[in-house]
Amino acid sequence: MSKIAFTYFLKVVLLVLAQAVIFNNLVLFGMAVPLVFVYAIISMPITWPTNLSVTIGFLLGLTVDIFSNTYGVNALSCTVLAFARKPIFHLYVQRDDDLAGLKPSQRSMGSAAFLKYMLTMTVAYCALALTVDSLAVFSFWRILLQIITSSIFTSALIYALDSIFTRQHEKGL
Amino acid sequence: MRELISFFVRNSKWFFFLLYVVLSCVLLFSRNPYQHHVYLTTANSAVATVYGAANEVYSYFNLRQANNDLNERNALLQAELISLQNQVLRMQEDTLANDTALMPEGARRFEFVVAHVVSNSVAKPYNYITLNKGELDGVKPEMGVVDQNGVVGIVNVVGPHYSRVISLLNPNLKLSCKIKGNSNFGSLSWTGSDPRYATLEELPKHTVFHPGDTVVTSGYSAVFPEGLPVGVVEEGSDGKNDNFFTLKVKLFTDFATLSNAQVVINNDIDELNKLAEADYKPAR
Repeated sequence: MSKIAFTYFLKVVLLVLAQAVIFNNLVLFGMAVPLVFVYAIISMPITWPTNLSVTIGFLLGLTVDIFSNTYGVNALSCTVLAFARKPIFHLYVQRDDDLAGLKPSQRSMGSAAFLKYMLTMTVAYCALALTVDSLAVFSFWRILLQIITSSIFTSALIYALDSIFTRQHEKGL
Repeated sequence: MRELISFFVRNSKWFFFLLYVVLSCVLLFSRNPYQHHVYLTTANSAVATVYGAANEVYSYFNLRQANNDLNERNALLQAELISLQNQVLRMQEDTLANDTALMPEGARRFEFVVAHVVSNSVAKPYNYITLNKGELDGVKPEMGVVDQNGVVGIVNVVGPHYSRVISLLNPNLKLSCKIKGNSNFGSLSWTGSDPRYATLEELPKHTVFHPGDTVVTSGYSAVFPEGLPVGVVEEGSDGKNDNFFTLKVKLFTDFATLSNAQVVINNDIDELNKLAEADYKPAR
């Protein structure tokens, strides 16, 4: 348990730093924002209690907010996403057995199920965060376009990241 | 009582969830950027240190562009210097006896602190910039920030070593501007879509302008000196109100490659603020 928690913590720190230093600057066509740190919530061990996941979500969002001057946008969105994580996961994975310590990934869930779960989470997050962020500023169509492009960009990056993390894990075994 | 406690334990996830949502919303709805807490912005020293380190690498990327801009600016200043020197020479010949005439009053009013941009964004609806100069360098909230090309923004949160600037690309910032060689002024703000353009609104209908005219600061606020370049007029249209023009302005500052900036320190700010305060007090 503690080893899982420690590697998870390390992953979160890396993701937040990467988001702040690299991904926040990687905006495609002034539209598509890669919100890659969401992978931290997506890959959180599924058996962790909701209290813990919501707390982690809030702190994660708040940290990203501080780094990108968005003041509450990501804190709110991450909290909601962390809360909705389990129900979304169980949309695609019915079995409730042998989930102990399971971290959602391509390896543990299979590519198809992981892809569906990850896409749902990413689209939900992009829709929430981008709408909250640009409330009262932009037109509906611009927000919609931004949500679609950002979701595609983010999920592609997360899928790639997950492949890397999973492969490293296999090497370690 | 036991029932109540078990009710809370059973539903604790909902209480946690609601607590965090409320906390987030408190932050979210305090959108006025002047009230942001320094620890929750990039002026926070730990966060700014991370950006500072990353910037050590990034700052090399735009050197070619920065160099070109500086060379052009240098050439301009050189030309201005020569013409001013000539002017001074002429004035010296005219007023040898009276040397106080050579001390222009405006010169001492504004000073500049050179700062490095450690973080910046252009694609968000509300954009901010972090600079590596803070309170200890004399930077205070509501000071103007410019770069070699034009106006950049206004400082709003200041930490000891870093400060956060509201970018011109932020709908919360309104800048008093006028067209060069013309005394009518309007309010310039960002429309939120393209980082290269801003809108100059509330320009009186009798103002004469042509596409390509330079837009400069009006000097009516204590933040910026008069006549700092902002952009050029791209096209004009009738505003929402029939008595005013609305102009599309192409900004001089390239926010996407911004790397160096100067904070404008107004030495007369205390005096000006005192005057402004006096306005609100009823005369006895």
